[in-house]
Amino acid sequence: MVLRGILLLLGLSLAGCDGSPPPDATQDTGRDTGRVSVSERMAAQPDPGFKRADRPREFDFPADHGAHPEYATEWWYFTGNLATQDGRPFGYQLTLFRVGLAAGMPAGDAPLRSTQMYMGHLAITDIREQRHHSQERFSRAAAGLAGARTVPLRVWLGSWAISGQATGPFPLRLRADAEDIEIDLTLQPGDKPRVLQGDAGWSQKSAAPGNASYYYSHTRLPTSGRLRVGDAWYQVSGNSWLDREWSSSALGPDQAGWDWFALHLQDGRDLMFYRMRGKQGEAQSFSQGVLVDQHGETLKLDLDNTRLSPNQHWQSDASGVRYPVGWRLQVPGKGIDLQIDARVADQEMNHSVRYWEGAVAVSGSHRGVGYLEMSGYQ
Amino acid sequence: MVSPLLLRAGITYQLRHPWQAFLALLGISMGVAVVIAVDLANSAAKASFELSAEQVRGAATHRVTGLDGRVPLNWYRDYFTTPNLPPAAPVVSGRALHVASDMSLQLLGLDIFQEGPFRGELGETLAAGDLRDWLAMPDQLILSASAAQALGTGPGETVRLRAGGRLHALRVAHVHPDDSSASRDLLLVDIATAQSLLGMPGHISYVDILARPEQLPRLRERLPPSLRLVDIAQQTEGTLNLSAAFELNLTAMSLLAMLVGLFLIYNAMSFSIVQRRNLFGRLRAVGTRAAEIYRVVLAEALVLGAVGSLLGVLLGILLGQGLAQLVAGTVNELYYRVAVEAQQLSPLPLLKGVALGMLGTLLATLIPARQAATTPPVSTLSRASLEHQTMRWLPRLALLGGAIATAGLLIAFVLPGGLPVGLVGLFALILGMLLITPACIPLFQRLLERTPLKGTWRLAVRDLNRHVSRLGTAAAALMLALAAAVSVAVMVESMRTAVSDWLNALLNADLYIATQDFAQGATLPDSLPTQVAQLQAVTAISLYRSRKFDLDGRPLTLIGADLAQPSRQGFRFVDVAPAQAWAAYDRGAVLISEPLANRLGSAAGGRIVLPSPSGERSYAVGGVFRDFASEHGRLFMPWRSYQEAWRDRSSTTLALFSETLAPGQLKQQVLRSVPAAANLLLTEAGVVYQESMAVFERTFRITNVLRWLSLGVAIVGILSALMAIQLQRRKEFAVLRALGMTRGQLAALIVAESVLLGAVAALMSVPTGILMAWVLTEAVQFRAFGWTMPLTLELTPQLLNLGLGLLAAALAALYPAWSASRSDPAPHLRED
Repeated sequence: MVLRGILLLLGLSLAGCDGSPPPDATQDTGRDTGRVSVSERMAAQPDPGFKRADRPREFDFPADHGAHPEYATEWWYFTGNLATQDGRPFGYQLTLFRVGLAAGMPAGDAPLRSTQMYMGHLAITDIREQRHHSQERFSRAAAGLAGARTVPLRVWLGSWAISGQATGPFPLRLRADAEDIEIDLTLQPGDKPRVLQGDAGWSQKSAAPGNASYYYSHTRLPTSGRLRVGDAWYQVSGNSWLDREWSSSALGPDQAGWDWFALHLQDGRDLMFYRMRGKQGEAQSFSQGVLVDQHGETLKLDLDNTRLSPNQHWQSDASGVRYPVGWRLQVPGKGIDLQIDARVADQEMNHSVRYWEGAVAVSGSHRGVGYLEMSGYQ
Repeated sequence: MVSPLLLRAGITYQLRHPWQAFLALLGISMGVAVVIAVDLANSAAKASFELSAEQVRGAATHRVTGLDGRVPLNWYRDYFTTPNLPPAAPVVSGRALHVASDMSLQLLGLDIFQEGPFRGELGETLAAGDLRDWLAMPDQLILSASAAQALGTGPGETVRLRAGGRLHALRVAHVHPDDSSASRDLLLVDIATAQSLLGMPGHISYVDILARPEQLPRLRERLPPSLRLVDIAQQTEGTLNLSAAFELNLTAMSLLAMLVGLFLIYNAMSFSIVQRRNLFGRLRAVGTRAAEIYRVVLAEALVLGAVGSLLGVLLGILLGQGLAQLVAGTVNELYYRVAVEAQQLSPLPLLKGVALGMLGTLLATLIPARQAATTPPVSTLSRASLEHQTMRWLPRLALLGGAIATAGLLIAFVLPGGLPVGLVGLFALILGMLLITPACIPLFQRLLERTPLKGTWRLAVRDLNRHVSRLGTAAAALMLALAAAVSVAVMVESMRTAVSDWLNALLNADLYIATQDFAQGATLPDSLPTQVAQLQAVTAISLYRSRKFDLDGRPLTLIGADLAQPSRQGFRFVDVAPAQAWAAYDRGAVLISEPLANRLGSAAGGRIVLPSPSGERSYAVGGVFRDFASEHGRLFMPWRSYQEAWRDRSSTTLALFSETLAPGQLKQQVLRSVPAAANLLLTEAGVVYQESMAVFERTFRITNVLRWLSLGVAIVGILSALMAIQLQRRKEFAVLRALGMTRGQLAALIVAESVLLGAVAALMSVPTGILMAWVLTEAVQFRAFGWTMPLTLELTPQLLNLGLGLLAAALAALYPAWSASRSDPAPHLRED
């Protein structure tokens, strides 16, 4: 999932980080002073003291499941389509972002001082009710309030936590609570192996050297557990997608944002594709993806073998931003011609960083479900 | 329905007598204005305090605090990482001293990420800087534009502060525009920065919580004995009570002003009706029904009341602004920083003022209107018959007054209940004394008639009895103003004497040692007591460990004390002999202050349950001591019991006694021989005494202003009464002039009459003032603060009062005398 949020947090001024709830959707759409779109956040460069992802590397597990504080940005990104036994569908997203504020150790002796902070996004899409609920949390990585540990894997932000086992990360337990929503899910490793994205896990983001990330995915993790919307709990199961990425890079000056797809097709194949958009909305050559077959064999996707075009739009009442919520994605060489539609049009994440992230339904040559992320729309 | 004809008659009358209308309006508007002004000033100070409290407290409903004033960081971490608990925001706060200006500022360390639901405004302020620097750098500071100006600093500059006993240099990351007055003395820092500035690595000051009632049980379960969950509303109440003494003072003054105002209105209305007795008599004679006259008089009063009230509102706002400055000044020095800019025109005082003006006018008109409407037509025509009637009523009025005053005293001293009961008693007393005052005029007159007075004075004395119906109320108004002045003077004097005696007895050590940051609970170096005890000149030492926490929602100061013999002599026990109290103390009993005893309904021999880090413990009460340090209460606990319950061996203050050295020399010796003392606060007892008394004087500065204000209102009352009488007596004056009285003699007559009136008022104000002072000092204070003090009577305020009464009356007569003596007698001789 590419540039998603690369540096998205590094440009953070303090504006909008106070954890205040998003403004009422009926408010004036022009303002939004506290909520800047992702691409605007990308202007600032991180502290040059951070390491850069400027070459391929050997991955080292389980260490690489944990944090890489020598890089500026990192995330643990879970999305999934789940359903109750009687078929009531839900989408969920839990993301913990680590943000390096400054390279190195903090100055002074205060236990609450840290050069690292965490941001968390939690969302549940109640597809039957056509409602999207989301929450945002922050904390400094100090005094045990938030942080990451490798064995057993534990990444946490307050009471939001991703916990693994002493023997390895799986089964992973995700727990996150907010006033109106909550998840408590267990993710099994499934049959698919880990996918190293890009060039053996080194994913180039723009033309500038070092503007790249280390990026791997677990594309299909059988998931079960329960989630809460309001006061009602639901037993659910389905599949999750995990993206892990860390880097110290920024968007190129000519880049506006991206559209990222992570699809579970009914025939057992998984498809990831992201389109990098230039300032004029054009697809850039850094756009790429991967098709993972039932056995974990992968095929690289790029603009030469994949075609992507929007065919339906929705405008947010809250921010005034117009997002493409219907798409046609074709991989002609593989007989794939998909129509991808948002399962709920309004799945905008209107927090201190604004983007659209939500559950999608796949029809056309194959059926399936997935997640779509769009950033950089104005 | 009011008959249009009658209404027109009323309006025409007012228009033809603009002076009378003016005087009525003046009376009403002055009364309304004073009440509004005091109220506005009062509510401005309060609103401003609430604003700053709200800004610092935010939207929190509860607060987790520690018995020792701090919360372990680990407790907060466990809270933060436990699912499904209400939002919480950790805070580290304390005081910091700006080194260059010696200004004391509030240091507020917040975690920006948790502030969202709590202090929105401050959160946004924090958001103006650069997040990376703010969180990662240990020296970032945000302050308001006015604070920056006061400290002479700006963005990017370095500010030197003293906090936690050390010096620090901080960089101004951002200066936020002053939207809110409350941020004036606020230094905003990151919570980690505050931790290191205040030297509390393992702790935070408190945790603010935003909880619904049903979440509270789960919250309480998480609290160890050393932590408490405090309801914020209750806690704010406690802080507000800090100024309860001050506010009571203002409220009492505002109520007095209201009474004086009511009198002015009554005076004005009754005069305008008395003036028209002829008109009403004729109307009655031609068949107008009593009810019609009654209604038209009331309708007229309503119009006058409305116009007067509106004028009063305008006047009150103007006056209130000046007064608010004064109130804010005092509050700033004594309690908390408030800014007068924060003053908004709260509608409540205005509404109260208008309601008072309208209702007061109606109420004050009821009696004259009834008189006008119900007396038979023939007698209505004679003014003398009214005076006659009044004279007949006077003794009954006086008797009624005596009964009400006695009831007031009984209510104030005997009836159980809180402050309101005391105030009701006070006002019943005042009402009673007011009713007695007019009856004193004929008494006084009869007394003076036997004295060999000559000329103008003799004439003036004879006249006194002829105008009781109007002069009576004027005299009562002046009497009330003077009595209020006397009573407040006596009360303040009594308090001053009591506080001074108490300080003198208590501060009997030669030298006190505390840390610079004793106000934040900083403790002395552990080795200090032993080092100081080794000094040869030191004959005795007392050790104190003071802590503040909430007991039943109100602050309590607990002092663990190892008291040397001379320190013990400073205590004055209310209920037991000192020997008995100290014997109990040595057996482990606690000593409680009088306000605490009254608040808890506890006394020597009773028991008191106190929280401690080792759980709740019960202690015997050894005695109740007289104490003016806190209206919330203080408690002394034997040193050993304290150390056992609190597992704390530190001390906050040392008191040293020396038989050989003077305080100054002792101080020098301590500084020379104990190196650790260099960074400590060494204070001679005399200095503490002086500073405490200075604070006392400042508290009551505003009282003096209000005293003068109500006296001013009374002078206007006399002026309007005299003007009214003079208008009515134009023909009489013309006759006197025609008989050969000179302008000067006529003027002298009017002044002399007024002075006699002032004398009646002043004489009556002495007993009234003393009774009021008695109620204020011994009943109201006790009910408000729980402490008692003996009444101190001094001659000076009484004499001053007599002089003031005469002077006020003479001043009020100057203009009427001047205008009467200048008018041409001829046209008035032709009248009627």
